[in-house]
Amino acid sequence: MDNLNLKRHISGQFNTELENIRNHVLLMGGLVEKQLSDAISAISTLDAGLAEQVIKNDRKVNSFEVSIDEECTRIIAKRQPAAGDLRLIFAISKTVTDLERIGDNAKMLASVALEKNASKQGKLLVSLENLGRQCVTMLHNVLDCFARMDVDAAFEVHSADKLIDSQYESLMRELMTYMMEDPRAIPSIMEVMWAARALERVGDRAQNIAEYVIYFIKGKDIRHLDDDEIAQLRE
Amino acid sequence: MINLEPTHLESADTNLLDLANLTDEQTAFSIESLDLYYGEKQALKNVSMRIPKGQVTAFIGPSGCGKSTLLRCLNRMNDLIDNCNITGEIKLEQSNIFDRNVDVATLRRKVGMVFQRPNPFPKSIYENVVYGLRLQGIKDRRRLDQAVEESLRGAALWDEVKDRLHDNALGLSGGQQQRLVIARAIAIEPEVLLLDEPTSALDPISTLVIEELITELKKKFTVVIVTHNMQQAARVSDNTAFMYMGELIEYSDTNTLFTTPSKKQTEDYITGRYG
Repeated sequence: MDNLNLKRHISGQFNTELENIRNHVLLMGGLVEKQLSDAISAISTLDAGLAEQVIKNDRKVNSFEVSIDEECTRIIAKRQPAAGDLRLIFAISKTVTDLERIGDNAKMLASVALEKNASKQGKLLVSLENLGRQCVTMLHNVLDCFARMDVDAAFEVHSADKLIDSQYESLMRELMTYMMEDPRAIPSIMEVMWAARALERVGDRAQNIAEYVIYFIKGKDIRHLDDDEIAQLRE
Repeated sequence: MINLEPTHLESADTNLLDLANLTDEQTAFSIESLDLYYGEKQALKNVSMRIPKGQVTAFIGPSGCGKSTLLRCLNRMNDLIDNCNITGEIKLEQSNIFDRNVDVATLRRKVGMVFQRPNPFPKSIYENVVYGLRLQGIKDRRRLDQAVEESLRGAALWDEVKDRLHDNALGLSGGQQQRLVIARAIAIEPEVLLLDEPTSALDPISTLVIEELITELKKKFTVVIVTHNMQQAARVSDNTAFMYMGELIEYSDTNTLFTTPSKKQTEDYITGRYG
């Protein structure tokens, strides 16, 4: 099935509108990916300048979300999209919500980087960076699926969230051991914990976006299904 | 106390039928391998489908795809065309409408039809509605009065015309005329109502009034509608059949057809990728 037959509407204007909105989502995705990556760098290098930059840029992410949602509303009102077009608009509207939340997580990570307490946990920050880089890769891959509307890749990304979850859990165990060893370090370890939590959420949101891509292409909603059911739908 | 148990949101799906396996009781029309030729040209190619009773079924498709032809088969309007050849069968309530012993007038009384342009007779509103009843030989004044009120109410026109029933019907607006024609069709209490693009000559508000009327009509009749307006099919019908070049491409419940059509051609048509 040709998933990207956007060029073939009889109404050229409708084509342009759909293409624009997709481009805007990709721009927003690029910005969010950079925000997340910068926030992680800011934590591992304790770069306060970079962290402040991330916090400042979050406003751009927010305004992207608002303007893309406006475009979606306008298309629904004016063009009455059906079938694939309708699913695309829904997928886009939901994707930008999740992207915006990922942006919020990046901002949250940046504010951890600015915390004095966190700087005491150099060793833990390395584990955190590992988890963070995986999240950035996952986000990158899911945006790639979105750009190419590649359903197989979307299923791959969808299952990648499991890796992030298990890494998050092992990091949690590590953090708990440290807390038990040295209760005075608890405040600073808590900071790391919040950051790890934020990263784990990024994985979940990237997984959501993969679900929207699958919904758009296959017309099937795979949210809240277990692995066997998803494997069946994949065929 | 707030009930936190999730409630299933299935209200929209209550009248969902399995179109591929309708029982005879659920079926109004059963069409079997129908082929139709206008001279050399084949207008319908091996169409088989079952149209469920008490629901609205819409035929959509580009111009010349055969949707009006198929609709006109359902009350044998194609008999009027000279070089029209039909093979296959259409059963209404399990009896073939093409049988020799079927009286076409009786068939058309069971299967009423409304056309694209409102075509009231140049008579009073009252006489328009009772026309079919008079043809059946009904003379009882009280019964006719009652039929006029019921039909006009059924066609959502009563309140607008009750004080001028004996005015000429041609003085009504286009939308009112179309509702009058619907009232005339339902006055003889058909089983099925065929609507051939009933709103294409009307303004948007009259269109919405007719659409609202269609959802009321299906409580009493089976409705089959041909429409060029895809959004209209999406709004009013329970089931939609997409036709292209004389073939039935896809036939399913309207919700599925407009959100996740299974055929590429259907998708292209309803998203406006060809016309």
